[in-house]
Amino acid sequence: MNANIRDADYSESDSIPAERRRLTPGMVARQAVLLFGVFLALAPAGYMLLTAFKTKEEYLFDKIGLPDALVLTNFSEALVQNPFLLWMRNSAILAIGAVLLSTVIAALAAFAIARMQFRGRDLLLSISTSLMVIPPVVMIVPLFVLYTRLHLMSTFHGTIIIYAGLITPFSVYLLVSFFRTLPTEILEAALIDGASPLGVLWRVVIPLSGPPLVTLFVVNALYVWNDLLIALIFLQSDDSRTLMAGLSVFQGRYNNQIPLTMAGMVMASLPMLILYILFQRYFIRGLTAGALK
Amino acid sequence: MKHSRRLSRRDFLKTSAALGAGLTLSQSLPALARTRRQDDELVMWWWGEQELPGLQAWVDDTVAAYTGAKVSAMLQNTDVVISQFQTAAAANEAPDVQFLWNGIYHMESVWFGYLAPLNGLVDQAVLDRSGATRLSFYQGDQYRIGWYPLPMIWEYNKDVFDAAGLDADNPPKTWDALLDACDKIKTSGVDPIGGGVQDGFWGEWYLGHALAQSLDSPSEALDLFIGDLDFREPKYHEFWVRLEELKTSGFLNDSMSSLELYPGIDLVVTGQLGMSESIGTRVPADNDTLNGRVGVMTMPVFGTGALAGKPILDSQGLGISSQTEQKEQAAAFLEFMHAPEQLAKFWELTHWMPADSTWDSSVIDAPIVQQLWDGWVTSADSIPYIPNLMPAQFWTDAMFVASQEIIAGTMTGEAAGDLAARVVQEWRDFNPDLVENYQKWADDLR
Amino acid sequence: MIRTKNPLLPYFFVAPLVLLLLFVFGYPLVQIFDFSFRRIRGIDGPWVGLENYQLILNQPLFHEAVQHNVQLLIAVPIILILSLIIAVILYDRVPGWRIYRTIVFIPYILAVPIVAVVLKKFFQYDGPFNEALRVVGLDLFALDWMGSPDLALWTVLSVIIWREIVFCIVLMLARLLSLDEEMLEAAQLDGAGWWQRLWFIILPQMAGVIEFYFVVSFITMIAAVFSYIFMIGKGGPGTSTMVLELYIFNFLTRSSLPGVASAVSVMLFLVTTVLILILFWVRRGEREQELA
Repeated sequence: MNANIRDADYSESDSIPAERRRLTPGMVARQAVLLFGVFLALAPAGYMLLTAFKTKEEYLFDKIGLPDALVLTNFSEALVQNPFLLWMRNSAILAIGAVLLSTVIAALAAFAIARMQFRGRDLLLSISTSLMVIPPVVMIVPLFVLYTRLHLMSTFHGTIIIYAGLITPFSVYLLVSFFRTLPTEILEAALIDGASPLGVLWRVVIPLSGPPLVTLFVVNALYVWNDLLIALIFLQSDDSRTLMAGLSVFQGRYNNQIPLTMAGMVMASLPMLILYILFQRYFIRGLTAGALK
Repeated sequence: MKHSRRLSRRDFLKTSAALGAGLTLSQSLPALARTRRQDDELVMWWWGEQELPGLQAWVDDTVAAYTGAKVSAMLQNTDVVISQFQTAAAANEAPDVQFLWNGIYHMESVWFGYLAPLNGLVDQAVLDRSGATRLSFYQGDQYRIGWYPLPMIWEYNKDVFDAAGLDADNPPKTWDALLDACDKIKTSGVDPIGGGVQDGFWGEWYLGHALAQSLDSPSEALDLFIGDLDFREPKYHEFWVRLEELKTSGFLNDSMSSLELYPGIDLVVTGQLGMSESIGTRVPADNDTLNGRVGVMTMPVFGTGALAGKPILDSQGLGISSQTEQKEQAAAFLEFMHAPEQLAKFWELTHWMPADSTWDSSVIDAPIVQQLWDGWVTSADSIPYIPNLMPAQFWTDAMFVASQEIIAGTMTGEAAGDLAARVVQEWRDFNPDLVENYQKWADDLR
Repeated sequence: MIRTKNPLLPYFFVAPLVLLLLFVFGYPLVQIFDFSFRRIRGIDGPWVGLENYQLILNQPLFHEAVQHNVQLLIAVPIILILSLIIAVILYDRVPGWRIYRTIVFIPYILAVPIVAVVLKKFFQYDGPFNEALRVVGLDLFALDWMGSPDLALWTVLSVIIWREIVFCIVLMLARLLSLDEEMLEAAQLDGAGWWQRLWFIILPQMAGVIEFYFVVSFITMIAAVFSYIFMIGKGGPGTSTMVLELYIFNFLTRSSLPGVASAVSVMLFLVTTVLILILFWVRRGEREQELA
């Protein structure tokens, strides 16, 4: 599976055969379809961005045009009156915490599943893999009641455990597939040198696992960052609110100030947009990693 | 191998120690973990900044000024105000002081035994002047102290009235006068009436204003839920038929279905709409924006019930958990909120009035706010807000739904009555343990 | 395979995983069954047998929620077909295909709540979309996209397609890029046209990934659209966008009836379990075919 992904990257050659450069009707049609797709993909973001720079009065009369001037007050007002940075920090803590916890647990288990013999191994992998498709909403009610009893509501560690649980089946699945592709000789050589299994995992396997680990980080962090349901239910206090839950409060508070709302949305989109621009290939690779066998 | 096993165990320990350290770190970072209760600390969960900006500042100020105890206050998310408290109470983890919406929104907690009666705890004089309304009592005990009043009103734009040739100082009082006014406003080129129903709350407010007109007493609304009365009787869904009439006459703004509540009211302020339902807390700011050209009124009358045409007064309030061992301390803090300096601060920080009849109202700076204070907040005529007698399931499944469908033109007023009757039946089926309490409450209110 | 003297060692490695899965999946999946037979108030309540199930199954709102989730499934084939078209065009390495791919990915970078809020304003009756229509003289099509109960679900569906299609395009493209190019070139030399190559060589090889996407997006439409629904209309106008997740959420937070919420969760769980079993069954069938 991962071999495929790597191949896919290598085959992205930039050289365009000469026949494809010619301006044929087919080529024009294809370009037209793609340009239309680009327009559709960018229109809402463009609307968001343009509106964020308009004044409330300007928006009343001109909803689609360019802003008269680049008014930054929407941004400053949204930022001053709302703890965007706190929300982002909270989302980041949850995303990083859950991804780290999940990756450590998944790496240990995936190593054993991929490289050791033990009873129940295949069953464990099957169960873990099937859990990937159980919708989170199913687990919420008992966890809500349990967390209230254990005083874990509105705590980061409590919610990190839930998120880690939800993303771990995918982590296990991906790492097992990858660990199975590693050449056995390297591992055996390390063992003969006297390393313990954990030592092999830590000093030999993990250093070789850069690509799948980056993939896991991207996919799982994106999942936690974007989640609304769990955040709404399990992080109810002000100081633990995540960005997505914060946005639901934010839109209700300013639903009569659309330009201000859009300024907030622009700021909320920035962290992921920046990461995307910096690590584009990992995003695209990561999102397809689970699907290609 | 023995050697390597020991090593692997040590590695294991190292890994778990790192994990543990990470978790502990995330716990101990300031403000990350939920505020833990200390022995002498009062915990208060509250709500309201969402509808009354400045309230947070007042809470902060009050907590800082209070010397009787250390208070930690947490602002709640709108969607979970009730479930968060009830679940915490069920787990014996309720806060000492809890924000309470009026009527059923704290009555359920009363019935589950989560709230302590305030009479005997809080100074009776303070309770009496706090304007908690009749809906805060159950079987003779009061469970809620008023915090700030919410006059439920209709708001209109006097300039729009002028332009349509209407008397801006004498808004319509009867249904026929309303239809006539709508006609004139429409002719003048402005949408006569409406707002925004996208988020549903307009429909709740509408029921509060309009169903009341067909009732002789608030207890009649409860009878609709315990099964003694029925929404299918024409009298009890007439108000939805009237809404349908406004819709079919073309008096509602076309954007109503896709606008939320507050952006809808904004149309009155921008002069694109003649009148809308509104709430007192909005009036001071709207009045400033329109340079005093905002008017307030009660809903024009079609009904023949004793409650028709009366000003509607709701209030937000606070209560004390039945589980706290610090009831006296909590009561003292609630009393402190009604101390003259704190009441004065309330106006200063929120530009709205606190719920206290001894508040020095001379600071009111606009006639229209004075009108709200005299005509709604301190008026002997005021009636309770009827939706507060109705369970949440009825709000989302009937009030919101019926008004949205009628306004979109996909449901008749009569069909709305059928829908309401069905939702009431479903509520009874889902909550058989609550029906008996409703019965007792209805007897209280008779 | 690593052989260990201590037969328990593998279990040390998988123990944290087992504990985590038991906590986050195991406990709740057992507990929803128990809760679903009780009238829970707060954290506990009396046993009421099948009453919760009977009440739900008799409630028109539940049926509407199910129906809406089923209607959302229409998005799956639409997304698939559009994605295949776009992916195949990109695969042809039309000039600028990398830039196109980068841009097409942007909807997916915007989180659902952001997308929902922006498009909700975008489709307001007096909003920019209708204003644009009116400017070009298409007043007739300036409908109440969000406010009309007849249209709202389709508007939400379009928003979902707009964002979720990205994943499918990138998925299909990645699979295409891993195809055996020599086979395609050989076919081309043999005189196979573009459509023939697509139909006889490309699509058969895509069966696995299409099937995967089908199951994943099926479950998405049934049980993972909460963010869209909650941010756009919370089930309204009327009941026109009520879906199962919101139904559960409302019973948990608004009506404070976790028992009823659990009964719906049980049904949702059973449906997804059946789906997974079908997927396994289909995959095993395929594997046996391949081996045969």
